[in-house]
Amino acid sequence: MSSIIIQGMAFALPLFIIAIGGIYSERSGITNLALEGFLGFGAFFGAAVVMVMTGGNVGSLEIPMFFVALIFAAIGGALFAMLHALLCIPFKANQVISGVVINILAVALTAFFTSQINTVLLGKPTNKFMLGVCHTFTVPGISKIPVLGAFFTDVYYYIPIIIIIALFMTYLLYRSRFGLRLRACGDNPHAVDAAGADVSKIRFIAVMISGAMSGVGGICFAYSISSTFSPSIYAGYGFLAIAALIFGNWKIGPTLGACLLFGFARSAGYKLAQILGLSSAFSDIIMILPYVLTLLLLVFFSSSNRAPRALGEIYDKGKR
Amino acid sequence: MKKEKKATINPINRGFLSVIGDDRRQSISIPLFAIILSILAGAIVILLFGKNPITAFVSFLQGSGIIPKPEYAAKKSILTDFMSMMNSLTPMIFAALAVAVALKTGLFNIGVSGQMLVAGFIATITVGYSHLPPAIAMPLVLVIGVLCGGAAGAFIGWLKHRFNINEVVTSIMLNYIFQYVISYFINSYYVNPVSRQSNPITAGRLTLVDVPAFGLKMDIPLAFLLTIPIAILVLFLLNRTRLGYELKIVGLNKSAAKYSGINVGRSVVTSMAISGALAGLAGVTLYLGYYNSIMPRTLTAVGFDSIAVCLLGNMHPIGILFSSLLITIISKGSNYMSSIMNIPQEIAQVITGLILLFSACGAYIRYKVAQAREELSDLKLKAEQKIDGEGGEKA
Amino acid sequence: MDEYVVEMRHITKRFPGIVANDDVSISVKKGEIFALLGENGAGKSTLMSMLFGMYEPDEGEILIRGEKVHITSPAHATQLNIGMVHQHFKLVENYTITENIVLGQEPRARILGFLPAVDIKGSDKKISELSKRYGLEVDPRKKIEDINVSTRQRVEILKMLYREAEILIFDEPTAVLTPQEIDFLLDIIRGLRDSGKTIILITHKLEEIKNVADRCAVLCRGKLVGVMDVASTSTKAMANMMVGREVSFTTDKKPANFGKEVLNVEGLTVKNQDGLTVVKNVSFSIKKGEIFAIAGVSGNGQTEVADAISGLLPSSSGKILLDGKDITAMSVRERTLTGISYIPEDRQAVGLVLDFSLSDNLALKKYFKEPFCKKGVLQEEAFDENGKKLIEEYDIRSGQGITTTVRSMSGGNQQKAIIAREIELSSELMIFVQPTRGLDIGAIENIHKQILAQRDEGRAILLISLELDEIIGLADTIGVIYNGEMLNMAPAETLTAIQVGEYMMGVKAV
Repeated sequence: MSSIIIQGMAFALPLFIIAIGGIYSERSGITNLALEGFLGFGAFFGAAVVMVMTGGNVGSLEIPMFFVALIFAAIGGALFAMLHALLCIPFKANQVISGVVINILAVALTAFFTSQINTVLLGKPTNKFMLGVCHTFTVPGISKIPVLGAFFTDVYYYIPIIIIIALFMTYLLYRSRFGLRLRACGDNPHAVDAAGADVSKIRFIAVMISGAMSGVGGICFAYSISSTFSPSIYAGYGFLAIAALIFGNWKIGPTLGACLLFGFARSAGYKLAQILGLSSAFSDIIMILPYVLTLLLLVFFSSSNRAPRALGEIYDKGKR
Repeated sequence: MKKEKKATINPINRGFLSVIGDDRRQSISIPLFAIILSILAGAIVILLFGKNPITAFVSFLQGSGIIPKPEYAAKKSILTDFMSMMNSLTPMIFAALAVAVALKTGLFNIGVSGQMLVAGFIATITVGYSHLPPAIAMPLVLVIGVLCGGAAGAFIGWLKHRFNINEVVTSIMLNYIFQYVISYFINSYYVNPVSRQSNPITAGRLTLVDVPAFGLKMDIPLAFLLTIPIAILVLFLLNRTRLGYELKIVGLNKSAAKYSGINVGRSVVTSMAISGALAGLAGVTLYLGYYNSIMPRTLTAVGFDSIAVCLLGNMHPIGILFSSLLITIISKGSNYMSSIMNIPQEIAQVITGLILLFSACGAYIRYKVAQAREELSDLKLKAEQKIDGEGGEKA
Repeated sequence: MDEYVVEMRHITKRFPGIVANDDVSISVKKGEIFALLGENGAGKSTLMSMLFGMYEPDEGEILIRGEKVHITSPAHATQLNIGMVHQHFKLVENYTITENIVLGQEPRARILGFLPAVDIKGSDKKISELSKRYGLEVDPRKKIEDINVSTRQRVEILKMLYREAEILIFDEPTAVLTPQEIDFLLDIIRGLRDSGKTIILITHKLEEIKNVADRCAVLCRGKLVGVMDVASTSTKAMANMMVGREVSFTTDKKPANFGKEVLNVEGLTVKNQDGLTVVKNVSFSIKKGEIFAIAGVSGNGQTEVADAISGLLPSSSGKILLDGKDITAMSVRERTLTGISYIPEDRQAVGLVLDFSLSDNLALKKYFKEPFCKKGVLQEEAFDENGKKLIEEYDIRSGQGITTTVRSMSGGNQQKAIIAREIELSSELMIFVQPTRGLDIGAIENIHKQILAQRDEGRAILLISLELDEIIGLADTIGVIYNGEMLNMAPAETLTAIQVGEYMMGVKAV
């Protein structure tokens, strides 16, 4: 049971922070299919900075380097997201198309630069950065409580960090001036414009925030799942985050629920396969659990779903 | 002073306007513009490596069999390279057509890869592992591909119509489900212990491999013969048939479609079924043509690249033939380019990405051109008014 | 010498293909109600949009309180104490009234003593006080999507007052209101003037100007025709100035000649997408040669009645009979073929495919029949022929004839195209919803003539309009819908505009 919770949280929270990024972008009115690319590029950027700082060998600096990677993943994600913002806002490109193109570009760029950096640092063009593992901690005392204690056992370092960021992002979206204006942009940008705020600027920042959040989520996946950065980071977590936020009706709270559902369904599935002693082939069947669940739940709930009113519309000031 | 400055339009802009041309010409000139921009950007990257970009681009063409290489290994020639390029071009064309049909109806089929996999897998285990003679097996493979892909597409359309589930989400979920379920079956029943992929097929391969001809040994992608007729068929369907007219109305304006009496739900399902069927063709030509087995737990990138190829081709079936060719030349030629230039192969992907990036800006260029045109006609109007006004005063 | 708060001198503004304002100069005194009068498309809104910083003039200058200014944005205009209520309200639907009003100038509070946040509670109180002070009472905690049009307008006015605007611009504020609501609004506007605000009122309704304005400027086709004192000018003189020619205030209407019953609606109940019942047990019938008009304030279920009859919305109970045939369960297409023509409220979003050519749009209701379609293949010649014929017969003007993309056509010609297409169906029943919305007087006259001609040819006509004048002028029978219920039905000649207005407000007095 406890391993289901531990592994479930380890998967659900990075997914959640990516989905929060998506919510920021979509609530501001910009469709964002580029989360996959953002998380990949962000993770690459964080990992690359660590590689360059340590000369390709992390060695005993695993813990401090994790935090360096985290910060630079956020920066890298935000910088890369500017591309989507640029295409969608001033260049008025179709937002869906821009998202797809950016995903393709992210895969290409990260593969290219990873092998380049490795050639320089290690003398061989491999496509992986070895990062080392992300450490865990156990809260003494509380962790002994049955069932609930598992939430405080073997906790990845990034989990409390993500929780803090998520709390801050929730405050920023729902309580701050910026958040009030941002959400208004996704409903009626003309009202925001008439109120004297700059729609383009708000949307631009929102997309950059989605990049930063995706970068954070991406580097956490890189550390927790494989302790490397490699092309396997593009495993569709960005798309899963999109499904989570649509399922969560573009609200942070319900989206957390969706992410936890994915996380626990996944870890419970693995555990089940293990207990039943199933072959590794069977674990593939278990892997479909979160996706089948999503589809089933969408069948029941999608009629009450409401996307932000101005989502995907190109905002043209002059248009009346 | 300010007025006079406004009254003349920048000659560079004017030149640009005349090159880009009217609406009709823009559908060709803007993608071309994007390609030129990205080739320039690619050239700069190659220059940064200290290599000659022209030699690099020539080697792309050489690698994909468009122009001859300086030397060939035994039983190889430009023809073998070209055939090999056509072999990977075939599924790309079908996949891009699949995306185009859906997009014309306002639907985004991001599940082409998944539909390809389903079609490829079912065709493999039904016909591929049989011992049917090629004359029966090959058509059967195509039919099964069309039916399976079409069914998968129709299911996505039905979920959208019946439960209002966004087709993007459904497609993504189904991509995963297909991928893992098929992986389970391959690993359980059809796995080849050496290659860790599914067993190679024994019948119905759509590409003839290592055929001795003209003293060479080459692969002949038979299904390529279908690409051009099917592209024309899709064009005819969209532009000249009642069904295509209805699908386009649904894509442009759902309310108007409903108002004019079109059954929007049925159109959505039909469109996704056609799109899925084309994806199915792409699937069988990839897994039972270009390859002869399936790698478990992997979705092909063709289904995603095809989205961009379709856009580069301006969603037009004939445009797609050309954009597929371009992107395939770059990816096929990258091996050879990399080996003779000593530039990492990934640069090809980067150039492809840039082409797509610039082509995504096409709408902006179109917008700017329209704006500049309006300004121009405005200036003319103003000039005419001035003449009128002066004439009036004198009279 | 009078003190001018706003002076606009020699303003010219061009849009692609049109000169919206041509050398217009106006001056507005402090504390007056200054009206801008003109037809649709005369350039009133454009002129005020420049004062509010939404566009910049190509030529000319603007002075506020004697100082020359370049107003670059609405935010800048707000700083200059200029406020504007737009014709299309700029409100965030899923926000509360308070959130909408404070948006852009949010008062701050601190969470946990350090995090800056929007002070919603404090704002609620402030808005509540503000609304009481000006007699514009609203419940600040209600969401916009749950309030009606006239309350939304109050929110827009409060938005200006919250920003301490001194110069208030109203763009066609009465277009969506009932006569009673209009009176209330005009009282508010007078009250605002009396508290020292300067008011600019854009309108094309003469009575309002007569009723409330001090001075009035008339615009026609982008040019300033003249400025006059309202008290000393007759309504008729103003109207002639506005249109630039003699105006007749009467519609040429022949006596009615009813035939057999064409449409019979019994106990119709309709639910909208959210499952709310928007049409409640409505019954009425229309005979050949009769114009049956449904009056009502926007959003009271009248559009849904039309959608349910045409089949766009399912009816949850009740019966619809066309020529004695029960069509309740039929699809849209079947109903069209049985004999319904429908001119929808939103011509661009529903009635047309904007990116299609004119000839394609003119065939939108019969492309599937011969000669347009043979064995599933479209016949281009048939489309062209049909297009050319209708363009000629109905005088539809477009840049490149039948190949013109409909998006590039003017609103009036788009509507002509729809009407041409629908008349050509020769249906027993024609439904017109808001047929003249947003069109200029010439186009309106033309459409009114067409409607009357169809009636005289013996068609049954259902007319749904928010314009009371249009209903009074055309209808043979008037029904009033309020909150989804049909309140009263009577022959048009037995009702006055005031009575209809009372029903529209839900006052069930006879």
